[in-house]
Amino acid sequence: MEQLGIPEQDFINTVARALGRSEPLKHAPQRDIVGPPDFWQEDEEIRKHSLELFKKNLEGLSGRVVIAQSAAEVQQQVKTWLTELEAKNVICWDHGDLKELLQPETLGVNVQLWNDGHSSKELIDVAARADVGITWINFGIAYTGSMAVLSGARTGRSVSLLPPTHIGICKRSQIVPTMTSVIKHLVDLRGQGHLPATINFITGPSRTSDIEMDLSIGVHGPYRTWVIVLDEQ
Amino acid sequence: MNKIHQGKTFRERAREALKDDFMRQAVRKAVDTLETRKEEATDALGNWDQWREQGKRIREHAVENLDYYLSQLAANVRNNGGTVYFAPEAKDARQIILEIIKKHGGKHIVKSKSMVTEEIHLNKALIKEGLDVVETDLAEYILQLADEPPSHIVVPSIHKSRDQIAELFSNVAREKIPNDTPSLTAFSRKVLREKFLQADIGITGCNFAIADTGAISLVTNEGNARLTNSLPKVHIAVMGMERLVPSFADLEVLLTLLPRSATGQKLTSYISITNGPKKPEDLDGPDYFYLVILDNGRSRILADTEFRQSLHCIRCGACFNVCPVYRQVGGHSYGSVYGGPIGSVISAFLTNDMERYGGLAYASTLCAACSTVCAVKIPLHDLLLKLRHRYVTHKYTPAAERTVFKLWRTTFQNPKTYRLAIKMAQKAQSPLVNNGYIIKGPPPLSAWTNSRYFPKAAEKTFREQWQQQHH
Repeated sequence: MEQLGIPEQDFINTVARALGRSEPLKHAPQRDIVGPPDFWQEDEEIRKHSLELFKKNLEGLSGRVVIAQSAAEVQQQVKTWLTELEAKNVICWDHGDLKELLQPETLGVNVQLWNDGHSSKELIDVAARADVGITWINFGIAYTGSMAVLSGARTGRSVSLLPPTHIGICKRSQIVPTMTSVIKHLVDLRGQGHLPATINFITGPSRTSDIEMDLSIGVHGPYRTWVIVLDEQ
Repeated sequence: MNKIHQGKTFRERAREALKDDFMRQAVRKAVDTLETRKEEATDALGNWDQWREQGKRIREHAVENLDYYLSQLAANVRNNGGTVYFAPEAKDARQIILEIIKKHGGKHIVKSKSMVTEEIHLNKALIKEGLDVVETDLAEYILQLADEPPSHIVVPSIHKSRDQIAELFSNVAREKIPNDTPSLTAFSRKVLREKFLQADIGITGCNFAIADTGAISLVTNEGNARLTNSLPKVHIAVMGMERLVPSFADLEVLLTLLPRSATGQKLTSYISITNGPKKPEDLDGPDYFYLVILDNGRSRILADTEFRQSLHCIRCGACFNVCPVYRQVGGHSYGSVYGGPIGSVISAFLTNDMERYGGLAYASTLCAACSTVCAVKIPLHDLLLKLRHRYVTHKYTPAAERTVFKLWRTTFQNPKTYRLAIKMAQKAQSPLVNNGYIIKGPPPLSAWTNSRYFPKAAEKTFREQWQQQHH
């Protein structure tokens, strides 16, 4: 396996020669431009309206956003939605904040938590058959109506991906103005060596316009992306 | 290949394409829709030009220092527990991927949309080895069933009608699948979901790698890339060597440019950033991650300072959507994996076949619409002009054309012969002129008049008029 392709050094030397260098650059090159333009600032104005913006943008993509005032309201909203969907099987992240808020065992449906009590194959099978996947939202991005979800041992990627409906739940403090905030956080995580294996930005339901440019929802991922934000005054 | 690649030259293929009314109407509709949405999305963002400028500088910096960033990327991918391979040519990449699959005893392969795997003709090689390979992007799946190459880099199957798609799906299902969009989508979801769940190998492209992190990002709307890098035990990502950014912060700029420019979306439904294989404690995600970094002619472009900037491309397809030539003839006329203005520029270099692909420089009106919309400000029309110059210098233009231009040059360099030629033209043209234009000329003029009117020579030359008025 090791001798497949060509050695890295040969490849890099070719690139260096193409750039007109006698040997590859060894030190980080000087930069005057990094990241977004200077005018791209997360100002107070957008921060103040983050929640309504998030709601407006995700709803514009056929998602739903409900703002709840208490844990009880969150639970009630989830139950209402599960009834509406006639859901019987739910797969749910085994995530501290989420469990505390949601009390999954009280939902009155079959709830499987994503943890090592089961093999990964079993969990994926459950997720593939589940009516609803429920996850915590690590960040909601106001400007685009996106959710950022980080993978982990108890926060499987499949939960927000395989079921036809994905319900995401978070607190108001997790709604940030733009992707810039999330990127900053990811850079911090990387610095601490805690970057997850996968970060997914989810912006509305799965979609395609591949058939005669006619929009179709729910190709491979969920048909429905619904969100509850807890906003305790 | 298949019926689409008949016709040796762009001109011959385009002539065929011009008879395909459905395709042309579909392409027009698609590019108009995409272009309109792009305009709206970029207006809504504001400062579009500054964003483009920022994107351009970031890409330029990455490309100008590609040796450093590639080393950094490779080191970081290994730190994350992944494996990196370097492929100088398409055949090397195919061999690497085959060996990885063999090593893991892979049989069922799911692929998410990737132009670079089209470029190396991966599917054919895998199928030849008896492997089960399925394209999972809806358009790519349709094209796989039809055995056709993509005709657009963002919406690869715009040339297929819903009836054709329904027929392809009905053949797979062995029952009649209705031709409405929801039925077609639901069918593909069902079929492909099974494929995802049984797959042992997932192959993706790479929109942008992040050098200082060792991550790759994948941008999709359907979610197929997410499934491809979540369910199979092995994830192989194939990337063209120039497709990286130095840091996370730079990625944000390209993610701002790419979806808006491609489809007019603020962001696509899914953007995955993947750092190597799953963590040991994770319960889904691949156990093994391989990154295959491909040169395949890119270092040729890199070494060519005139054309180097074509490597800045982020494959948004915006240049296709405004191109008057693409609009008329569709993607298959180019006879290359990469069509449209950017494809016309890079194909000759990637394939190292100036004779065959250099002529794509003429698949352009030089109207510069492509340069105007390019998300990272590549001066595409300027590069097309430079490519024409190369093509002529290599003497690939037809002998007759070269003779005519030689004659023209000799005649027009000397005032005496110039005046004589104009006089002769004024006399010779009279039987051919119709309303101030020559509409049907004799050869070699016919090469022009077959598709365009030729303005007649003026009754009086400028010099004659000048002398009459000023003596």
